[in-house]
Amino acid sequence: MPGRPEQSFEREDFAWLVVMSLVFFALVAIALWREYATPWRPWQRQFKLTLAHAGRFDDARKFHLGIRQIWNPELGLVDRCVSCHLGFEWGGILPATLPQPLTPHPAPAFMAHHPFERFGCTTCHAGQGWATTAYGAHEGGEGWEEPMLSKQLAESCGLSEGELIQMRCNYCHRRDVSTDGMDSINLAKKLIKKKKCLICHTIEGQGGHTAPDLTYEGDKNPELFDFSHVTGPKTVFNWHVEHFISAGKIAPGTAMPDFNLPPEQARALALLMLSWRRINYPPQYIPQPAAQSAPSPAPTASAPQTASPAH
Amino acid sequence: MATSVQRWWHKLVWPWSPLSEREASEAIVRNLWLHWFPAKVSGRSMSWSYSLWLGTVAASLFVILTVTGVMLMFFYVPSTERAYGSIKDLQYAVSFGRILRNQHRWAAEGMVALVFIHMARVFFTGAYRGARVLNWLVGVALLLLTLMLSFTGYLLPWDQLAYWAITVGTNIASEAPVLGPTFKYLLLGGHFVGQQTLLRFYVLHVFFLPAVVWILFAYHMWRVRKDGGLAAIEPLRAMRRAEPKEMPRSKSYSLFGLTPGTSVAVMSSMGLEERDQVASSPNLTRRMILVFLVVFNITLLLSLLVNAPLEGPANPSVTPNPAKAPWYFVWLQELVASTTVHLGKVTISGGLVGGILVPGVLLAALILWPFFDRSTVSAEGVWFARERTRQNVVFAVITVAIIILIIVGMYLRGPYWRLYWPWSPRPVLPRVL
Repeated sequence: MPGRPEQSFEREDFAWLVVMSLVFFALVAIALWREYATPWRPWQRQFKLTLAHAGRFDDARKFHLGIRQIWNPELGLVDRCVSCHLGFEWGGILPATLPQPLTPHPAPAFMAHHPFERFGCTTCHAGQGWATTAYGAHEGGEGWEEPMLSKQLAESCGLSEGELIQMRCNYCHRRDVSTDGMDSINLAKKLIKKKKCLICHTIEGQGGHTAPDLTYEGDKNPELFDFSHVTGPKTVFNWHVEHFISAGKIAPGTAMPDFNLPPEQARALALLMLSWRRINYPPQYIPQPAAQSAPSPAPTASAPQTASPAH
Repeated sequence: MATSVQRWWHKLVWPWSPLSEREASEAIVRNLWLHWFPAKVSGRSMSWSYSLWLGTVAASLFVILTVTGVMLMFFYVPSTERAYGSIKDLQYAVSFGRILRNQHRWAAEGMVALVFIHMARVFFTGAYRGARVLNWLVGVALLLLTLMLSFTGYLLPWDQLAYWAITVGTNIASEAPVLGPTFKYLLLGGHFVGQQTLLRFYVLHVFFLPAVVWILFAYHMWRVRKDGGLAAIEPLRAMRRAEPKEMPRSKSYSLFGLTPGTSVAVMSSMGLEERDQVASSPNLTRRMILVFLVVFNITLLLSLLVNAPLEGPANPSVTPNPAKAPWYFVWLQELVASTTVHLGKVTISGGLVGGILVPGVLLAALILWPFFDRSTVSAEGVWFARERTRQNVVFAVITVAIIILIIVGMYLRGPYWRLYWPWSPRPVLPRVL
């Protein structure tokens, strides 16, 4: 077993050392580029131009590119949606016809009651506020349980986007008898009284004890539902819809009567069921009955400042 | 051309080159970073084909893990309220945060695999014999510590994957007779995975376990030197010893008349000759830098291509279907599941078999194996020595069985822990909307 001359090691390793160093520099360059080429950057450039086109030169000049977020520790909220959805609070200044994601929020009167800095975006729309990519924000990725309540998702439930969002409105408005703009939930609340659900079910400590407690029905694990008799999609929402139409078909042997409700009433009740969750919002977010009819302040035309740069 | 590139390269990155053997040796001895190398190293230890440089690969991964880990510590908050959010921040808002976390994750998964593969190499080359048995035991301890490091790190993102993997993992541990439940309680800081668990795992992960690994790693390296280098040199050493040697001529008398000859012949500690060795500087250092660079590049490339998994936030009331232990423990989970017997209404848990008996026996075998190995010196430092065929087959069969169980657990187990072929449809699990 003869020894090897030193030169042989140098010859063998030197070329690889050079190659690997070049690979290293190339990979670092790709990493740098990926860090710079973020999906929100082109939208922000376009928004800056949009501001200038609208004659807001000063605002355009002050607009710096970077991740933006609405941060509210009271709700544990970090909503970076506004890194792309930049026109959200520019209603009245920028045209409502701007394409997404730069479109101003379409309901300024509603937002006057629910200021962006307090409620952010995901409180109503769900989705993943942390994300700075469209997929991450809207779908959330693997195992994400609160996808954005999009038009497509609403349509798959036979609802409009506005109706689906009412489910989340009711997280705070649970104890309202009736709330402006929450027609589906209002209808469901009326039906709960009309059909006398409390005779058998307990809701927030009141009612009978012969049927399951519905206080936190919306938190129930989907796998705890029996889908063997459900004909439509295997979703908790659909289970409730079919169950409200014909309880006996979905849960054979149940004591609950078949209400044969029209589909829109069944869907409204299903929304109400999903809205009953154990969500600990601070008390100041729970509306007082007297404050419900307060007049909404008129939107102002000054440059909005809600979203702060993340850095 | 090649020489001029080389010259420029040397000027750029290699400002010093030893001019003599003596200078090269001194560079190794005097330098803090290099002093754990011998001044000279045998060519066979340096070869790619003998050691595959697996130990260096594992050590390189550990260096990457330490550096990326310290950087991650600047952002991570070990509280149940903020841990998940801080990982999301790393993923979406912190500059280079995603790549940092990816690299930490892939290096960690890689280290678990590489430490084991390194051990397999040592086994197949019979390199744990003789004095090296102590270093084998240190290596077994390092393997266990690597598993614990990875396991404690697994919980920190505080997502569903983390929460339930740790729940499954610690449930397996609690199956141990007598001490199992106590061990689980001690590890979790309670009966369930919670804030106490997160804090304990964090402290173990960022301080205690890495410190122990660094100390043992230093000892592992020191032992390599004390044992005369890699076992690869043993066949050569035996050959050199057998060669007749000429005693140095001397005028002195024999030492107190006790030793034969006219002088005391001292063999070099390695028992090798000049021609068998090369200077560690720059041959060994250059190759180590190369190995590190290759490992770094692979982890960086992986980090650019594949994101570290991160699921929804930990939710104790919703168990993912199925909930799986980390991949390096999923073979135990598979064993627990497949040895659980249902007899009518009576269920006999497989926890004892899969959780304790099998891993316990395997660990005991790893520790005791060198003491029962009866192979001769000629089987030392040689790949697949004929004399050790039976031992190697046993090791290989157990390894393959574990790999098969891991593949079954990771890829073939679907909802309700049923078996599905990769191409067969899996049941759609119900969603809320």
